Amino acid sequence: MKLLRFLAISLAGWLAGLAIAHAAETVNVYTIWPENYARPMFQEFEKASGIKVNFIRFSSGEALARVIAEKNNPRIDVLFGGPVETFAAGIKEGIFEPYKSPSFAKLPARFKQVDGQWTAIADDPLVFMTNAAFLKSNNLQPPQSWNDLLNPAYKNQLQMADARTSGTAVTRIFSVLEVNKRDEEKAFDYLKKLRQNVQLYTKSGGGGTLPVGLGQAGGGIFFIVDALETKAKGYDVVISFPKEGIGSSAEAIALIKGAKNPDAGKKLIDFATGAAMQSKLAEHKVNFVPASPDVKTDPALADVLKGANVFPIDDEYAGANRKRIVDRWVKEVLGPQ
Amino acid sequence: MPASVASRGRRIRRDPVLLGAIVVLWLLLALFVLYPLADLLIRAFSDEGRFTLEPLLSSLADSGHRAAFRNSLILAASVGVLGTALGFLFAMTAVRGGLGRHWLTALDAAALLPLVSPPFTTSIAIIFSFGPKGFISHYLLGLNNVSAYGFWSTALAETLTYFPIAYLTLRPILAAIDPNLEEMAFSLGGSRWRIFRTVTLPLCVPGFANAFLLLFAASLADFATPLILAGNSFAVLPTQAYLQITGMFDFKGGAVLSLMLLVPAAAVYLLQRHWVGRRTYVTVTGKVGQRSRSRATAPWTMAALAAATFAVAAVILYFYALLLYASLVVAFGANETFTWRHYHVIFTEGLPAIRDTLIIAAVGMPLGGFYGVLVGYLIARRRFPGRQAMEIVSMINYALPGTIVGIAYLIAFNDPPLALTGGALIIVACYVFRYSPTGIRATVALLQQIDRSIEEASASLGAGSGQTFRRVTLPLIVPAFFAGLGVVFIRSMTAISATIFLVSLSWTLITVRILENMTELALGPAAAFSVFVIVVVFLVVAGLSAVLVRFRAPAAGAAARSLLGG
Repeated sequence: MKLLRFLAISLAGWLAGLAIAHAAETVNVYTIWPENYARPMFQEFEKASGIKVNFIRFSSGEALARVIAEKNNPRIDVLFGGPVETFAAGIKEGIFEPYKSPSFAKLPARFKQVDGQWTAIADDPLVFMTNAAFLKSNNLQPPQSWNDLLNPAYKNQLQMADARTSGTAVTRIFSVLEVNKRDEEKAFDYLKKLRQNVQLYTKSGGGGTLPVGLGQAGGGIFFIVDALETKAKGYDVVISFPKEGIGSSAEAIALIKGAKNPDAGKKLIDFATGAAMQSKLAEHKVNFVPASPDVKTDPALADVLKGANVFPIDDEYAGANRKRIVDRWVKEVLGPQ
Repeated sequence: MPASVASRGRRIRRDPVLLGAIVVLWLLLALFVLYPLADLLIRAFSDEGRFTLEPLLSSLADSGHRAAFRNSLILAASVGVLGTALGFLFAMTAVRGGLGRHWLTALDAAALLPLVSPPFTTSIAIIFSFGPKGFISHYLLGLNNVSAYGFWSTALAETLTYFPIAYLTLRPILAAIDPNLEEMAFSLGGSRWRIFRTVTLPLCVPGFANAFLLLFAASLADFATPLILAGNSFAVLPTQAYLQITGMFDFKGGAVLSLMLLVPAAAVYLLQRHWVGRRTYVTVTGKVGQRSRSRATAPWTMAALAAATFAVAAVILYFYALLLYASLVVAFGANETFTWRHYHVIFTEGLPAIRDTLIIAAVGMPLGGFYGVLVGYLIARRRFPGRQAMEIVSMINYALPGTIVGIAYLIAFNDPPLALTGGALIIVACYVFRYSPTGIRATVALLQQIDRSIEEASASLGAGSGQTFRRVTLPLIVPAFFAGLGVVFIRSMTAISATIFLVSLSWTLITVRILENMTELALGPAAAFSVFVIVVVFLVVAGLSAVLVRFRAPAAGAAARSLLGG
């Protein structure tokens, strides 16, 4: 009986899908948000607009490399999600078409590019995440300060992202710079000391979450969205914040230059940059902090963030110094043993 | 046989089938190998329309890149030697061990597992087993804080992943050695060790050289294993190139780093040609009488070999038991309740990826098998202008890291009139031209063991080159055909580095889904997909073997059982 109902529903869904596919517009998207975050958002958009979303997920670097390679004959209309700096790199390649959605004017300056080349759809603070069993067996409290991570108990126990591939890592390094009042010598001094405790720099921002969850590593620094996802999967991890403060990075969306379905693309951007999408984040347990001032942060997420000292990374300062700082990090922190 | 170019030219013109095959192959190679590569070279070495060596010079000046280059060579050479040795061990046990049917099947299965698994599986199993909280390092041996990252774990993972290539290359060669040769040496009073050293080993030289070359190139181009296991202090070039492109958004720098890889790959290739090319290794002459069973290996030696082989096989099986377990529990390491949920996910949400992958693999398989045998036959048996060039060109896509091949294809085939991106054809072409070299090398190695007189007899009886190829040569190289076919199918099911750039909104692949699941921390579905891939590949390979056994009758050079196992 259950099977029969399942079949009937799938058949109806399939027919409805056919009808929509024939009648409605489509929009083609590369998403940098993992599918489990992006899919429910696109489903909400399909429901609200009747426009079908064709999408595929890539990491930020791969998505950008593809869009650049496809420049002369674009295959997509919208690049969805992913840290702002990926979009900053895209601007240099001239792959975006400026577009200002109705929400554009309302957003604070750090959530948009002046000309409308990209617009923020969410905010994502960094957190410290540690394995509960590891803390217990070493008699440690969850780290409350950047200096707590220098404790020899963490030797060879931390996993965090590699600055060459990951926006998470760049946000982390700029957090350390801000905490040290942009004194680069002091900041790099800290980063070099931290290096002693790092087991592995992973290629992707969330690469270390599973090892920490499984106890292969003791802890690390991750985006809150990945940390809460690890917790939701059932791994016993603890989230904490440094009292000196920690940075937060915006997630963006952009229209592709030469898009074949520009109108549908613009509708998706209108949807994503406003309350229409961001008010659905909490419902689908996607733990990004909404960027739109019209949407309240989900109480559960706000609870995690309560009392945390989170500051935005200064866009202009980070943009102007990113390459130099990452190069220096590779040379002085990653390189030597 | 010295023949002037002019007479070769005349011979080709008299042979329209040969001429046609050569022209078509060159057209395909030009389109799918040379054109993307040239396009890439132009992009790497031009700056606003002018030629410049600046990117190359700055790459060479960077001490980090030089270290990565050195590391790549050390790793590739180690994997080449270790993998060839392990492959030879397995091949000896399989061919000479006198194992029963079931043991042989088990051995083949263990040897094939690493080859048929999606990327990352061996690496992840190694971390689970030998990492800081690994099953073996921590729970069995009680070690704390061991590091699973660096040269040794990378070399171990790559050796276990790629040694089956050596096994597949060496096994038919060992099987094709006429036992009568060793028997003669034995009856002339040679010791077993002396016979092994002076008869058996030298006859395997083309196989060793080919296996080493394939492993060396595979390791040189592999980026998935070092990405996970190399850690912070052992950088290698393919990973650096990948980081340069996808992390630093520096396309030129990445292209230059990848092209540096072509130098050692070409050097090893030329070396093995020089070394192997001047001797003869004919043991299949068509003139052999009764085949005798080899007595050339002592029973106790064989027992030791078999024990070593099965120890390695046990490690491999343990790795995959771990994978199966991860696919059947709710969340590996956190909630180990039994569930079928992950399999439900892959057959609902994952169904399009499964369908696309199977279609692409099914189309690519026969094309790749035929292409491999044809190219292998032409370069091993035919004399025509540009033969060596063809041999080198056919290896290029195999030797380049996948990232670079993928991006080169993406750029070269994005604009009309060659707008292939977004379709299935570009993925099929990528697989055929990237993974057929195994079939090509297997064909060449096998043909070097088969006396030309067999084909000459056919020619002198009036058969054309097409007919001789079909009726005489083809049956002799059937094992190589199926090896090539099998490898293309396997790679179509498991490869990711190149095709991550070629999947599109309408055509996606299982391996890309696995990577996606890993980013979502969904280890369960990733493991379930991997198990599914392994099962499908095993079924197909077993099917191929059954077919092979049925049509084996004329294959004088082939061993009693197929090289593809089971």
